Amino acid sequence: MARVSGWLADFAGYRFPINEGRIDRWIKQFEPNDYDLATRLLDCVDFVSQARMIVAFRSFFDICEGWDINPEQRRGKWCFVAYSASAGESGDEMLHLFRLANKLNGRQYNQLFKYKSELVRENLGPSDTVVFVDDFSGTGTQVCNNWPEIQELLPGGPRVYLVLVAAGINACTKIEEETELNIIPNIRLQEHDNIFSPHCAHFIGEEKEKLLRYCQVADKRNPRGFGDCGFVIVLAHTCPNDSIPILHSSHANWEGLFRRYD
Amino acid sequence: MTKNDIHKLAPENIGIKNISIESLVPNPHNPRMLFDRVPLEVLRASIAKVGILVPLTVYWSQEKEHYVILDGQRRWMCAKELGLKDVPVNQVAEPTLVQNIVTMFQIHQLREDWELMPTALKLEVLMRELNERNDKKLAALCGLNQAVVSRCKKLLSYPKKYQDLMLDPDPGKRVKADFFIELYVVINDRFVNKMTWFSKNKFTQRMLEKYQSRKSGLKSVTAFRIMKQHINNARHAKKDKLITERLKEFYFDDTLTLDHLRIQSADVSAGVRKLLGDIRKIEQAVDEIDVSEYYGEEELWSHLERLLKLIRSKLEAAGRRLK
Repeated sequence: MARVSGWLADFAGYRFPINEGRIDRWIKQFEPNDYDLATRLLDCVDFVSQARMIVAFRSFFDICEGWDINPEQRRGKWCFVAYSASAGESGDEMLHLFRLANKLNGRQYNQLFKYKSELVRENLGPSDTVVFVDDFSGTGTQVCNNWPEIQELLPGGPRVYLVLVAAGINACTKIEEETELNIIPNIRLQEHDNIFSPHCAHFIGEEKEKLLRYCQVADKRNPRGFGDCGFVIVLAHTCPNDSIPILHSSHANWEGLFRRYD
Repeated sequence: MTKNDIHKLAPENIGIKNISIESLVPNPHNPRMLFDRVPLEVLRASIAKVGILVPLTVYWSQEKEHYVILDGQRRWMCAKELGLKDVPVNQVAEPTLVQNIVTMFQIHQLREDWELMPTALKLEVLMRELNERNDKKLAALCGLNQAVVSRCKKLLSYPKKYQDLMLDPDPGKRVKADFFIELYVVINDRFVNKMTWFSKNKFTQRMLEKYQSRKSGLKSVTAFRIMKQHINNARHAKKDKLITERLKEFYFDDTLTLDHLRIQSADVSAGVRKLLGDIRKIEQAVDEIDVSEYYGEEELWSHLERLLKLIRSKLEAAGRRLK
């Protein structure tokens, strides 16, 4: 019972409310012999609440140079932009949290926050800075594929940051190698955060195989999560598809505890 | 814009020299493009055999402290693959933003596989800097098709939040430019704009929601052509009030499909208008037949006989008394 209360407290604030019934139904999708495995998996979930995200974004200005709240002390022009643009998607929400975290929510700061489509006409040069804000990058593939388009919007070659709540270590390496983006993830997920990796100490080999079998039921195509990331991270507003599918897949044969869509 | 003004849009020539291949970077204004492998291999073979015959056009970027390629990215890529140490370049003065964009447009032309939104955004800069909005002049200046300029301008007419949807990093979530281009004719229809409940922004948002969730049968962007056709048909049939109500109902209700906008009597009127146009053309063609000239052209006369028979049978079926 205490364990359930702990999960309820940990997962409070997820976009689809988690309650005792949902947890119970989720566990009962496992074989009775594997209930313990299921509950231990829930113990491993790294739930990033909105408060944690705000703390994460707050630390950004400690890392980057040239920023000052006073425009006269600031180096060059600064633009803060949501990286993903789809309506209701993470980009907008993350940018909002970023504003709150850094006390930039006053009307006087509105001009710092731009749409991506406004960047070309800003005519930014090397002394200027663009800060893209988003939530997560698991493999870095999408960011790297999209980089030429971003470059096209920033022909003057300003300094560009990509501020993320979390990113896989491989994503960080790929983005650093293939783009000129300075990636700043608050949480860097390591090799041992992939629960199928031999470096992951939470489960033994046999348990990993069992989890993989359940993951295959949840998602045949990406049983280890997108890009074989094998993560168990859940963000308050969504569960990345790089996390293992038994956490988020939702269909006739499986109902994830952290479903991604309505 | 005069001829002299256009002339000023070309960067000033400085001279030809050889420079290290490592000191060159591609022009970030170049549109994102995939270079076709086959022509690139042909070019590489030619460079391997005779070297680079046409110097690359470059400028020295003060800010980047690099030579930037204005023209010759393919030659540069081949030279790099071949391990050449340096390449011949024709250096020109660092172009202004406008010069750079115009040069980029002129060199690369527009390829079908480009995303249109980044092109539109560059066109926006040109329009602002040159204070030029005329489609024809812009098309001539950029070497673009006039229709492309017009499409770009349609995209630029949307609020920035919608423009951003066409730049989403996830190709699966990116909204196609065609959606906004096709919707444009509906939301800019003067009659629709006069509807008291209508708001361009809200209508765009609702149509986007319906399209993305495949509701109301909006599976294809061409659905907006059908929508516009229904509106036009209703207007010609003087069914303004009815189509206003139907469009409002369609706007709010996701269970209604485009068929809800179909007003049968309006469709009939539209059909009649089309038929009348066709019949007038036939009348004219028949009237202009010079009998002596076509005498003996059996196929023509037998077709005319068939047509006459057909017309008679239709008129009789309609209860018309033939004179």
